[in-house]
Order: sequence, then structure tokens, then C-alpha cells
Amino acid sequence: MPSATRRRVGPTAGGALLLVLAGLLVVAVLLSLAAGSRPIAPSVVVDALIHGGGSDDAHVVRSLRVPRTLVGVMVGVALAVAGTVMQGITRNPIAEPGILGVSQGASVGVVCAIAFFGVHSLSGYVWFAFAGAGIAAVAVYIIASGGRGGATPVTLALAGTAMNALLASVVSGITTTDAEALDEFRFWHVGSISGRSAEIAGQTWPFLLAGLLLVASMARGLDALALGEDVAKGLGHNVPLLRTLGGLGATVLTGVAVAAAGPIAFTGLAVPHIARALVGTDHRWVLPAAALLGPVMILVADVLGRVVFPASEVPVAVMTALLGVPFLIALVRRRAVVAA
Amino acid sequence: MPHSPTRRPVRPTGFSVLRAGRGSFLLHRRAALVAALLGAVLAVTAVVYLCVGESFVSPTEVVRVLAGRPSPDEFVVGTLRMPRLVAGLLAGAAFGIAGAFIQAVARNPLASPDVIGVTHGAGAATVAAMTFGVTAHTALPYVSILGGLAAAALVYVFAWRRGLHAGRFVLIGIGISVALGSLTQLFLTKGDYLVAQQAKVWLTGSLNGRGYDHAAPLAWTLLVLTPALLWAARAQRTVSFDDDTATALGVRLGRVRLGLTVLGVVLASVATGAAGPVDFVALLAPQIARRLTRTAQIPLAGSALTGALIVTAADLLARRLFSPIELPVGVFTAAVGAPYLMWLIVRTRSRSGGTA
Repeated sequence: MPSATRRRVGPTAGGALLLVLAGLLVVAVLLSLAAGSRPIAPSVVVDALIHGGGSDDAHVVRSLRVPRTLVGVMVGVALAVAGTVMQGITRNPIAEPGILGVSQGASVGVVCAIAFFGVHSLSGYVWFAFAGAGIAAVAVYIIASGGRGGATPVTLALAGTAMNALLASVVSGITTTDAEALDEFRFWHVGSISGRSAEIAGQTWPFLLAGLLLVASMARGLDALALGEDVAKGLGHNVPLLRTLGGLGATVLTGVAVAAAGPIAFTGLAVPHIARALVGTDHRWVLPAAALLGPVMILVADVLGRVVFPASEVPVAVMTALLGVPFLIALVRRRAVVAA
Repeated sequence: MPHSPTRRPVRPTGFSVLRAGRGSFLLHRRAALVAALLGAVLAVTAVVYLCVGESFVSPTEVVRVLAGRPSPDEFVVGTLRMPRLVAGLLAGAAFGIAGAFIQAVARNPLASPDVIGVTHGAGAATVAAMTFGVTAHTALPYVSILGGLAAAALVYVFAWRRGLHAGRFVLIGIGISVALGSLTQLFLTKGDYLVAQQAKVWLTGSLNGRGYDHAAPLAWTLLVLTPALLWAARAQRTVSFDDDTATALGVRLGRVRLGLTVLGVVLASVATGAAGPVDFVALLAPQIARRLTRTAQIPLAGSALTGALIVTAADLLARRLFSPIELPVGVFTAAVGAPYLMWLIVRTRSRSGGTA
């Protein structure tokens, strides 16, 4: 990260901060289980989780809200870590799966899998999501680095916008012409975690784990990369290998998040910056902090979407964009993002 | 061209002088030729547009209907297809001109009303109005204009920090566009089901069901703005110089830029109100027209004709390619426009240091 200050936290302060963030996450999870068109008191929620029970409230909590919340948590972790890694390996403050069109690439993959290959289970179409995300990521990066100035934030954002528009038109072309499956496609226009079954949650976690392991294998190199490619090389890191591993990890995480919830933008942008503001630039602290904050953002956005217009629900991707855009504007104004 | 060999006027190469009484006017010969050719292609496309559909109508019948003579196909051509064609033509022309102004002011081919949030602002305002019960065709165009202007002002205010930096402008514009797009989704969720359905089709930029109701405000706007457009055609030339040269020539740069930008934003907003946000037409049309005419400035007439041609041709494809299913025209313009934007990014050598 081309950051002006290189702040670090000690183990005690960092540990305390992570504990606070974990507490926030617990609050967000309880909120997500309790709020909705049928508000349920937190004590009832806890009771239903621990003792079960046959009341309507317990049923709503266990069969509807728990899977939804679980998917939200996993998607949040995946997107936040993917954003952190993308910002790290591109050394670019606005790199993010949503803005760069990577999420949209994954959703094209999923839509193609459903429409042309008759694949209907998450563990089946997640592979198409990986392929789509990978291709979109590489294409955007190549286009953005095509100009003489290399991949500056401006060219990256523009290339991502173009890619988003192109892929969105592909998605809407396929979904409009394939009316039979239209209902299954609803999620791929705007990301949403409503109506997700426990089955989806169960199929998501192995891929999430794989992505996180990939990232963990190269996380130490991110700090060195932040100092510049040459320094990283001088410190004995294999830079191309680092970038490949990181890129693969980010692709897998984005792909699984999109396969579970559709394209959700701005979580991967806002969360890493907030995490860095809290714990400094050391990735040993930034990654866990982002992984705790990501689900908080997704769940809070989802809860807001449930309560803002009662009876109908606003998709979570809409709310994350509304929460995230002021953040992008502040970032662009405050820092020398465009000084390149 | 009337000029006597004895007092041959000094004129730039490639231009002819048109004189009428005391007035004289420089005409770029290639630009005029290109405009004439574009007009001819557009006329052919329009006739094909009227011929093709669920039922085929022979071109002779189409011409008869256009000439106002009685014809058995008058209902299909005159009542069903014609209003939609007119809406598409006007919207395309307005998008083309709007793009020409914005790109001339920004001196950057990447700038277009789509990228800087104008079309999304107009879209969000229109959907909000529809959600809250304003559905009259007489009121909606004003709402779109207000929305477009507000979005442009918002982007300008946020991007202004000790001067206007092109890169910051584009990034903020993209951000505001996304936010306004999300707001639109929010209003869609709130609205009742039928309005939402209607607004959703409108949002992808569709000419399906567009008619004279939608085209009328656009036609009025273009008519009322004609004097302003004539001024802009001249003024546009002055902003293409660098700041120092223009100032030294006595151009009030600030005013000219503001005037051109407001004109561009108003046109793009009204066109969005009529046809929905048809992406990338405003980006593509001026660039194609300029490459065809090979002029230093972006040609206005050429941009308008190219814009109209793009929208008509795209809508023709959108109607027929997957018939009986109709795709929104925005899907086609995006499928062509987005790769073009990517190509521009690769080619323009990252001019993030320029001024907006």
C-alpha cells in the first residue's frame, strides 16, 4: 500500500482491538438473527439457538435466519480478505472485486453454468464462478496497464467500469432470453443473501477455507510487497509467485462469495481501509481485522435493507454500495490516490 | 463554391467558404460529406426499421405511409413502429450532442455523461418520482433534468479540491454513479410491483413502448435549445485550445465551459428521461464521428447523426435478433460501447495528469 505513514500496533493493543471487533461481529450476528419483518427478541433468539424448541419464532430463527446469517458471515469474510489481498498485490488503494469487475465476471460464469450447462448446485457452478472471476481480473488488469502510466487507480477504475458494463449486458442478455430460469437468475443482477438455504451455507465453507489457506500461504509477502517490488525481491521473496498465489486466493474468495450471494461491491474496498486505519499496515493484523469487519459490514447492510422499507427487502448489495460510496469519495479526496 | 480568382480569400485547407449576403461561413468539406452520407445511411436504416418486425412490410408501403398516402399497413408502420423510431432517433441525437459537449469541455474522450453520473442521476430521479406517484409524461422530463443537473453538480463539488483534477473527477463520477444506481434499486424495492416492473424495463434503456409522449419533451428541448446549440458549435472550438491560448484570445473560458457542460447535461438528462439510460451512446457517437470527419474538433452534426444511427441500429437488432423476445437496447449499446471504452483506455496512454 502506498501509504504515507507506516503505523504498527503492539501485540496487546492489536489483540484488544481484535477482541472488540469480534464483539462487534457477535452483536451484528444477533441483530441479523433478531431483526426482520418478524422482530424477535434477542433472548428468544439465544434460547432458540441453545434449546431449540418448537415455537414459530424458534423455527424462523433456525430455518431462515441462521442460514442467511451464516452465508452473510462467510461472504463478508471472503470479500474483505479478497479486497485486502487485491489492494496488496496490485499496490493500488481502490482495487476491489466489485469495482474491478471481478465479481461481475464470476456472476457471468454462474449464469452461463445455469443457462448453458444445466448446473444448479453451488458446488457445481462455483467452478464457473472461479473461471469467470479469474478471466475478468486478468483482463481488467491487462487493459488498465496498457496505457503508458501503467495501472493507475483511474485506469483501473475505468477499465473495471467498462468490464462491469460489458458483463452486466451479457448477464442481462442471457437472463432476458432464458425466461424459464429467470427466477433462479434474480440474484445475479444484484447481490442478495436473502432466502439462502442451509445447504448453500454447507457448500460454501470448503471453498472459503481453500481461499483463506491460499491467502495465508502468501500473507507474509504482502508486507514486503508494500515496500515495492524491488525491495520485496531484495528481501528474498519470489514476487511473481506471491502475486500468483494472492491472485488465485482473491479469485477463489470472490468466486465463492459471488456463487453464494451474487455480486456485492464496496465491501472489499471499505473494509481493508477501515482495518488499516485501526491496526496499522502490518498484514498480520490487517487480515484478521478485515476478516472480522467484513461480516459486520455485510450483516449491518443486510439488516438495514430489511428494516428500511418494511414488508419488502432491499438487496444487501444495494446497501453496501450506499454505505461504501461515501467512503470511496472520502478516500479519493483525502489521499493522493490520483497523484500518479 | 462562389469565390472569384481575383480576390481569393485566405482559408484553411479542407474548408470551403459559404457566402450568403453579408454573412459567410466556413464549411469543412469532409465533415459535410460525412454528414450527408450518415444522413443517407440513417434514412435507409430508418426505412428498414419500419419494414422489419413481427410482420414484414414492403419498403414501398413504408414510403407511402411516410408520405401520408393511404396504405393497408398504416397501423403497423404509422402507429406501432413510427413513434418508437422517432423516440430512438431523437434520443440518439441528443446523446450524441451531449457527449460531444462534455468531451470537448473535458478534452478527454473518456469523459461522457455515463461516466460522470449524469444519466444515473436522471435515472434515479425519474424512478424516485415514479415510485412516489408522479407518472405524468409532462412532469417526468423536468424531473430527469433536475436529477441529471444535481448529479453533475454533486460530482463537481466532490471533485473540486484546489482545482479540478481529471482523474479525481472520473473516480468521483464512477462512485456517484454507483451510489445513484443503488438509490434507484432502493426506490424500485419500495415502489409497488407494477411501477417497479415498468421502471425496471426503463432502467436498462429500452425503447419498447416508447412513443410520441416520450419523444415530445425531447423534441421541444432540442427545438428550444437550437440557438444555444448554434452558439455552442462555435464556442466548442475555443475550448479545444489549451487554457493559456484561449484566455489570450479573449475567450471567457469559465463561462464557455459552464455553458457547454450545462447544455450537455440537460440534453443527456432529457434523452435519458425519454429512453432510459442507453449506455455508451454519448461516449461512442462523438468519437466515431470525429474519426470519420478527421476534424480537430468534434463535429456536432456528425455526432448527432451517429448517435441516432447507433440507437436505431441497436434497437433494430434488439428487436429482431432473439425474436420473439425483445432485449433492451441498452444491452446492445453496452456490448459495443464497453469494449470501445477499454480500447480507449489502452490507447490514450493514461492521461490522468490532464485537467478537467
